[in-house]
Amino acid sequence: MAEHKNLSKARKRLNATAQASAYQKQWFQGLQARVAAGEDFCYLNADVPMEILRAMDIPFVVNQWWASICGAKRMTAKYFELLRQAGYRDDLCSYCATAFAESLDPDDHSFDAQGNPLGPWGGLPHPTLAITRLTCDCQGKIFELFAKNHGAAFYAMENTVPRKVPLNWWEMAPYDWESLYDTDRLDAAVEELKELIRFLEIKTGKMFDINALQTVMDNVNEQETWYGKIRDLIADSAPVPVTVVDTINAVMPAQWQRGTQWAAEHAKGMYEEIAELQARGDPAVPGERYRLMWLGRGLWHDFSFYQNFEEKYGAVFVWSMYLAMGADAYRRYHVEEDPLRALAARYIGMEDFLHMPPWNAQWFLHEAIHNRIDGVVYMVPENCMQAVEGSFFIKKTLEDAGIPVLLFKADPVDPRKWNRENMTALVESFLEERVIKK
Amino acid sequence: MAIRKCAREDPAFSRLLQVYEHREQTAQAWRSAGKKVVAKLGFDVPDEMVIAAGMLPVQVYADPDQSLEKTDTYLEFAFDPLVRHQFEKIVDGTYQTQADFLAISNSTDVVIRVFLYLREMRRQGLEQIPPVTFLDWLFTRHRLYQQRNELTVQMFWQQLEQWSGQPITEAALREAMHLCNENRQALRTMQALRRGETVRITGCEALVIIGAGFFMEKQEHTALVRQVTAAAQQWDPVSGVRVFLTGSAQEDTQLYQMIEELGAVVVGEDHDWGDRSFDRDCNPDYPVVRSLVDRYMLREFSAKKAFVSQRVDALLRQVADSNAQAVLFYNHIYEEAASWDYPSQAAALRNAGIPSASFAKMYYPVTANPELPDALKKFLQGEAICHG
Repeated sequence: MAEHKNLSKARKRLNATAQASAYQKQWFQGLQARVAAGEDFCYLNADVPMEILRAMDIPFVVNQWWASICGAKRMTAKYFELLRQAGYRDDLCSYCATAFAESLDPDDHSFDAQGNPLGPWGGLPHPTLAITRLTCDCQGKIFELFAKNHGAAFYAMENTVPRKVPLNWWEMAPYDWESLYDTDRLDAAVEELKELIRFLEIKTGKMFDINALQTVMDNVNEQETWYGKIRDLIADSAPVPVTVVDTINAVMPAQWQRGTQWAAEHAKGMYEEIAELQARGDPAVPGERYRLMWLGRGLWHDFSFYQNFEEKYGAVFVWSMYLAMGADAYRRYHVEEDPLRALAARYIGMEDFLHMPPWNAQWFLHEAIHNRIDGVVYMVPENCMQAVEGSFFIKKTLEDAGIPVLLFKADPVDPRKWNRENMTALVESFLEERVIKK
Repeated sequence: MAIRKCAREDPAFSRLLQVYEHREQTAQAWRSAGKKVVAKLGFDVPDEMVIAAGMLPVQVYADPDQSLEKTDTYLEFAFDPLVRHQFEKIVDGTYQTQADFLAISNSTDVVIRVFLYLREMRRQGLEQIPPVTFLDWLFTRHRLYQQRNELTVQMFWQQLEQWSGQPITEAALREAMHLCNENRQALRTMQALRRGETVRITGCEALVIIGAGFFMEKQEHTALVRQVTAAAQQWDPVSGVRVFLTGSAQEDTQLYQMIEELGAVVVGEDHDWGDRSFDRDCNPDYPVVRSLVDRYMLREFSAKKAFVSQRVDALLRQVADSNAQAVLFYNHIYEEAASWDYPSQAAALRNAGIPSASFAKMYYPVTANPELPDALKKFLQGEAICHG
């Protein structure tokens, strides 16, 4: 296994990426202060409709984002050892179990002799609320354990499976979302949102305001519209002005700030910065020859891996779901008619879009064509049932269209299972045998 | 011990064993007579409704000896191996010849994925797969989800009417609910002989008695269970450490046989091929839809669709009810959900003075774990075991 300390740092070129990171740290410090002052604080899973909490000004941290921070800080090896010592398996659900494992760390809020925090960014403050959706068998169990360790109230929201299977969801989602879903699913989701609001009102003493939600939804639409423009700009550019190293790191943290004016303005600034790079002919990789698509979660513990193939092959990762989901999956118009229903039409679809054939496969194909992709590198998590998404259908759909796919198993946050040399060789072999010779 | 001579010589048990070992026979006879068969994947497809529609419900089960050529093509590797073997039989055409329809309930994530894949395979015209429907239960105990489940029952009702080509009356549903309640009550009377002061029925024998019911008509099964229960009152008492099994479904008797040949006896389990299958009746005083929701939503928690705290309480309750002296955790590789329950459950058992052993990441079938008999022996001799 490669030594973590020997992994080079990924090269990021956008100010927007640095700004997102800086804002997150500043925001997190503010969060710590609010929690220290006695405010309620919620830890929630990425598929929870966080717009409700945003509208109620309840601070929250998103599980997947926090796992990425822990992964980037290379804390996960320590955390999974803590899991093992507590009698849990250390090879399961790494993405979702990271924060629970962190809650077992007695040093999470401590400092070393030099005054440096031992926990990532000083450790996760103790949440008073923990909310997840039951999109896999393990999720509710892990969140309940997490909540218990923190003394937080645990709340679970259910998940339903669509009967309608439109092949072009990305075209329907922004305006025609009522037709996109089974009506009874939407009805049930709206009622579920009302129950969530009631739970939050009782727990926090804050009253929900539908007008505040509409503002949040409008901000989200504005932010995601800019992501759509960025995605299209990249798709239309050859060579591209930015790679996934920037787009993932700029978009993911901002996505968890969605609904704020800051996030909308950040997305606009990101677009303008990329457009300027493109206008002045300043490519991310001057020798770009092959355009690659990354399918799967971000490789949080080794981002420079994405840049490993640029110099030798001119192979550039131009696409990941993080930006493209922003472009296609989040916008919902006609908000003013029923903000709760528009929000329901957003959150119930995430699982469908990402993890269900043919919704995901058809979208990946559409995006691959749009972005003129030469090859797809597809990371399937080896210990996450939630991310099991019909890899056969995805691979078949892309390869039937003449786009080669390299499928491999790896873990997005656990560096113990990552062998940089082997993975590099695997991708190089794929490039040489299936992309370059194509 | 396993299946004893006294059981094999009993005519009713002998018939149950014959059905258990030849699971296709009743379905074949039904289809030969022009009647329809519904294969069920997942353990939350209401038999009551299939029976009311005039069709025979049969459970999809795995063939451990079958190679997984098609499964390896379509399914990710990290699926419960038992479900992988069940999937192979669905896509290789077995159920195309043995059943008319396939009903899948969302009893666990893996089965949900199987439904999604089968739906997509049918859309693309891949393989020979019977018409398939999906029951999307919500198991979180909340009024809102109870209401949603009523809609799920109504949709399955409509689907069955379409499949059977005839309306399903409320009277037919009530009759089927009564039939299934009687069956469950008969099985609970049998269950008392596993967990009473004197154990009269071994775990292996119980698996046969229970499991045969997944492949035959309910009336016949109920009658046979009653006959076996009456006869078993005179069977020799079973001695040995009384073990409760929690974890993976056991579609055959191999694991129980291994345990019982070591001198223990399995007095209860929480998987769907055992006690859980006949827990809770349909309440005849409720409207039919609500009664069905009540039964399938509120019976004992499954390992997959319950929170850790619920599972801890459930295990303590079941261990106490079955008078078990020890608990075995047994989970297939890639069947992970219960792994999150285990440390809390084991701690609760320790507090209650009940020894337990954990066998996680187990290969399928049972015989693919050569170290298992020795490890079981050590546990039953008093050594702490945490395997896998």
